[in-house]
Amino acid sequence: MTIQVKFAIYNAVSKAIIIFAFMALLPLLVEKIVYEHIDKRLIARSERVLLTVKKGSIADIVREQDCSFESYNILKEEFVAIYPITDPQKMGDGMTIKDESWSIEGEKLQHRIIRLPFLYDNQMYELNIGEGIGTIEELKSIIQRFLLVMMLAVILISLFVDLAFVRLLFRPFNSIIGNKLLPVHSPTSFNFTPIPSTTTEFNQLDHRLNQLMHKLKDAFLMEKEFISNVSHELQTPISIIQNRLENLMNEGNLSDETLIKLSDSQRTLNRMSRIIKALLLISKIENDQYIKHEKVNMFELMDEVLEEIEDRLSQKNITLIKNFQDDFNYQPCNRALLFIMITNLINNAIKYNKDGGTIEISTKKREAYYLLEIKDSGIGMEKSELQGIFDRFKRLNKGKADGYGLGLPIVKTIASFHHIDVKVDSTPNEGTTFTLTF
Amino acid sequence: MNVLIVEDERSLSHEMEIYLSRQNLNCDVAFNGKSASDKIHANSYDFILLDLGLPDMDGLDLLKESKKAGIESAFIVLTARSEVEDKITGLDLGADDYIAKPFSLAELHSRMQAILRRKHGLKSNVMSVHDFEIDISNRTVHCNGQSINLTKKEFDLLHYLALHKNRVLTRIQLTEHIWGDVLEDDYESNYIDVHVKNLRKKLSAQSSVDWFETVRGVGYRVNA
Repeated sequence: MTIQVKFAIYNAVSKAIIIFAFMALLPLLVEKIVYEHIDKRLIARSERVLLTVKKGSIADIVREQDCSFESYNILKEEFVAIYPITDPQKMGDGMTIKDESWSIEGEKLQHRIIRLPFLYDNQMYELNIGEGIGTIEELKSIIQRFLLVMMLAVILISLFVDLAFVRLLFRPFNSIIGNKLLPVHSPTSFNFTPIPSTTTEFNQLDHRLNQLMHKLKDAFLMEKEFISNVSHELQTPISIIQNRLENLMNEGNLSDETLIKLSDSQRTLNRMSRIIKALLLISKIENDQYIKHEKVNMFELMDEVLEEIEDRLSQKNITLIKNFQDDFNYQPCNRALLFIMITNLINNAIKYNKDGGTIEISTKKREAYYLLEIKDSGIGMEKSELQGIFDRFKRLNKGKADGYGLGLPIVKTIASFHHIDVKVDSTPNEGTTFTLTF
Repeated sequence: MNVLIVEDERSLSHEMEIYLSRQNLNCDVAFNGKSASDKIHANSYDFILLDLGLPDMDGLDLLKESKKAGIESAFIVLTARSEVEDKITGLDLGADDYIAKPFSLAELHSRMQAILRRKHGLKSNVMSVHDFEIDISNRTVHCNGQSINLTKKEFDLLHYLALHKNRVLTRIQLTEHIWGDVLEDDYESNYIDVHVKNLRKKLSAQSSVDWFETVRGVGYRVNA
């Protein structure tokens, strides 16, 4: 999840919580305020009524036989009523204020009523003053709706503004990630242009990144040059001797013995040259000097390799069993390197095989990967020998001094470069199987 | 034919000169870029063998400069540095071929021949070896009118030996010519012997191959 998405979610959720909390509390708040207000008014009015009563005589106010008084405004939203208390038990303890429904002229409405018992002329009366709260509910819902709309608008605006700001704030950061980190595959293709920013941390990040990359690039270039120099310095003397021997061999009157010696010397030189080339290949791969951007079809590649080595198969009378179940295209890769890797594996399968033996090559498809298996019916190896099989210059001590022990290390290096997994299994005298997982 | 050898290693330059002179080529040498450039502009060469590791400039720059000046010589780039980019750049800049050191002088010679064929369309593209006629452009071999079916490798082998007739070619030279610069972990490989055996068999079916000599412990030689 990106920073912006995370922030947007946090933003939206926290604001939503605020809205809901507010929405939940608002009605209660409104109610409390309004009611407090009403109560205050009721109390004030009751005091005024009592004052009026005390000033005059209740006889003025009381009109009917039962000595009660009722008055209400035309909308039936307010009333004042005084009743004599006939039943002393019914009397409350003091002033009470409650919500009740009250009938006025047959119409039942909700009121907030204050009841206040008072003594006048040795008679207990109860003063009831009521205020209609129907409008209060209406008012509440209007306020609620209005505030809801206001809140939503404010929150939406603030949401967008926040997101825009975050985007702006993080722009240099995204630039660093997008332009510098993600596209980089090697230190030489790094974009060193500084990303402008007013944020300290981003500047630090950018600066440090540039510094580190410079170091990496320098190290990389130095290594590259070193490998190139080593190649030149070692191969040039070999070249001189080789050519000199060649010219010597072409001079007329050489004895057979001399020719053989010269030829052997050339062979030794050739061996040295090949070892250097193999070591340099490994170094170059490890120094990331090869690019992989090709796509290869496995069957095609296999056919190419097999074409190159088919004569060796026939020399040892080896039968090749092609078990090509599933074809697949592999990318990204370096075709030349893959060619070398597979050639080396098959060469090994031939070298350590018995005369008249077999080599079985299978390709299988599994869910998330492909398998390439090369199985030979050769002399095999003990478990202990399997251990260091990919070490450089390690050779099977079976008397044959062929090879200089770099074939498998090359396979391993090329495989790691491509993130291909290589496994080997072997049974003495039965054969060895190499499994590559793509 | 005139050849300019541009190589700062004098020993190497010397050996190349010996070999090519024996092939009746006129050799001239230059040990740095400046003198090479002077010579290139002063004389006309059929071949310029260009080492890239020159002391005063990059061989590729010399190549670029020469091509720009319209020099029509065939350029063969030689280098001991193992840079793949050098090869691509060299060929892109117009070099006719690229050989990595160490190389066999016989191989160098056969590449030069190939370039000549490409450039000038050699009048006679057929090489005769005793009763056999080797048609290089069509890659066929005939004996008394009969065509002999050879595999690609067998043909290359025969052609190479015939090209360097009367000279012994070691197994390694033959192997590297046919399989190229394969990074093989097998310096005792005698796979070349199998090819020779098959080749001899096919040829001897038509006529005598006494001229196809095995030089014991060394390699093979075609005796004209």
